Amino acid sequence: MTSFPAVAKLLAERLDINIDTIQPDTRLESLGADSLTVIELIFDLEDEFDIKVGDERPDLVVVQDIADQIDRYLSQKAAQE
Amino acid sequence: MSLERVVITGLGAVSALGIGADANFSRALAGSSGIDFLTLPPPRQLPTYVAAQIKFPLPDLVKKTELPLFDRVGLLAWIAASEALQQSGLSGQTDQAALLESSGVFWGTGMGGAQTMETGYVDLFVEGKERVRPMSIVANMNNAAAAQIGMRAGFGGTVNTYSSACVSSAQAIGEAFRHIRHGYAERVLAGGAEALLTYGVVSAWDAMRVLASTNTAHPERSCLPFSRNRNGLVLGEAGAAIMLESLSSAQARGATILAELAGYGASNDATHITKPNPAGQTRAMHAALADAGLPYTGIDYINAHAAGTPAGDQAEAESILEVFGNRTQAPLVSSTKSMHGHTLGAAGALEFVLTIQALRHQSVPPTAFLDDPDPGFDLDFVPLEARTNQKIRAAMSNSFAFGGSNAALIVKEFVQ
Repeated sequence: MTSFPAVAKLLAERLDINIDTIQPDTRLESLGADSLTVIELIFDLEDEFDIKVGDERPDLVVVQDIADQIDRYLSQKAAQE
Repeated sequence: MSLERVVITGLGAVSALGIGADANFSRALAGSSGIDFLTLPPPRQLPTYVAAQIKFPLPDLVKKTELPLFDRVGLLAWIAASEALQQSGLSGQTDQAALLESSGVFWGTGMGGAQTMETGYVDLFVEGKERVRPMSIVANMNNAAAAQIGMRAGFGGTVNTYSSACVSSAQAIGEAFRHIRHGYAERVLAGGAEALLTYGVVSAWDAMRVLASTNTAHPERSCLPFSRNRNGLVLGEAGAAIMLESLSSAQARGATILAELAGYGASNDATHITKPNPAGQTRAMHAALADAGLPYTGIDYINAHAAGTPAGDQAEAESILEVFGNRTQAPLVSSTKSMHGHTLGAAGALEFVLTIQALRHQSVPPTAFLDDPDPGFDLDFVPLEARTNQKIRAAMSNSFAFGGSNAALIVKEFVQ
């Protein structure tokens, strides 16, 4: 599974923009998403998927980078269940 | 070096009396109270408490994307500050580089982002969550409001936060006045905000036994400054702002000058952590008069600190009589807290906004619901009804705090 649709949906809500403007390779910076926005977004994604990303701080440049990070935790979670 | 004169070119306010400095003054003049039963999110309701709570929706001045950065106190601050900025004519059209260089923000708050802090604690300790919202720090920090105002106004000079309980914003305005007068800045957006109507904070105030008992039939009549029946204060939330400028800056850009900030006096009781001391209050009022170069007979109205506590109102009446003489010599004195409650860190600014308007309109708002004045005080407290068509050349606003800090501000008509 991929978390991209959920990432795009929450990002669109948080930035108050049209979800169609968000593609996997869209740069976060170009959307106006700064580091604080990304921290808030990941907080909400943790709730959405019941995962704990914790203090990991990868370099997140495009939207898919966030989805990749979430997907990794989702795979780990699936493996444990 | 000659001292700069400091003038007022904009006002802003939001409180339980409404949105806007004019709306707040009109309602205060009408003797209309914004106090009602306190409403908190279930299940932690405190049904028997009253407060001057802002129950109407706030104007939508902050983008949805930026809301996580804002506690309610920051929203109230920006609503008031943007109004003052707009009235001054400084927003938009002015030379932005000059604004950045020589403009500051001096802001007061008692408890900063109290709601954000409490929400975080509830998440951790009650809900059993293992984390709090990521923006809790930047929304809660006491300088959050000043920082947001500075960013939004483009003011890149000194940005200070004053946190001295109930004199926080009076200090902010007074220190801003000195800052401009001594040439450190051309303009300062000064004021304060407070938003602490939470279950935890209200419970803490209640534990001190300083809150007024509720008039259950008429909750709006629960705060009774200078009354024989007064028995405590009513907490409130608010934001209030004043655009201060050097006279030369205001004149150079052709701004409308609303009034002149003429004097500021500050003192400390140095006696007791909560019990007010008339000698300390007297020192602040004398200092403000000396600063303004006015005799006591030059003041025609005092907006009193009077929160409605037995000891506080007693001390203030004594100190006013000490400075101004008896009832026939002393100016009109009223406490607008009877209507907008005690807004703590915002109180000094909100009450100074009303004082400036009393001067401009030559009309004094009443001490509402004062149908049974304390016979021990020989002063005219403007009971029940406003006094219009007064001759008000200068007016004083008093603020006194837990901790013993006192501040008095004097505004006078601007005369070239």
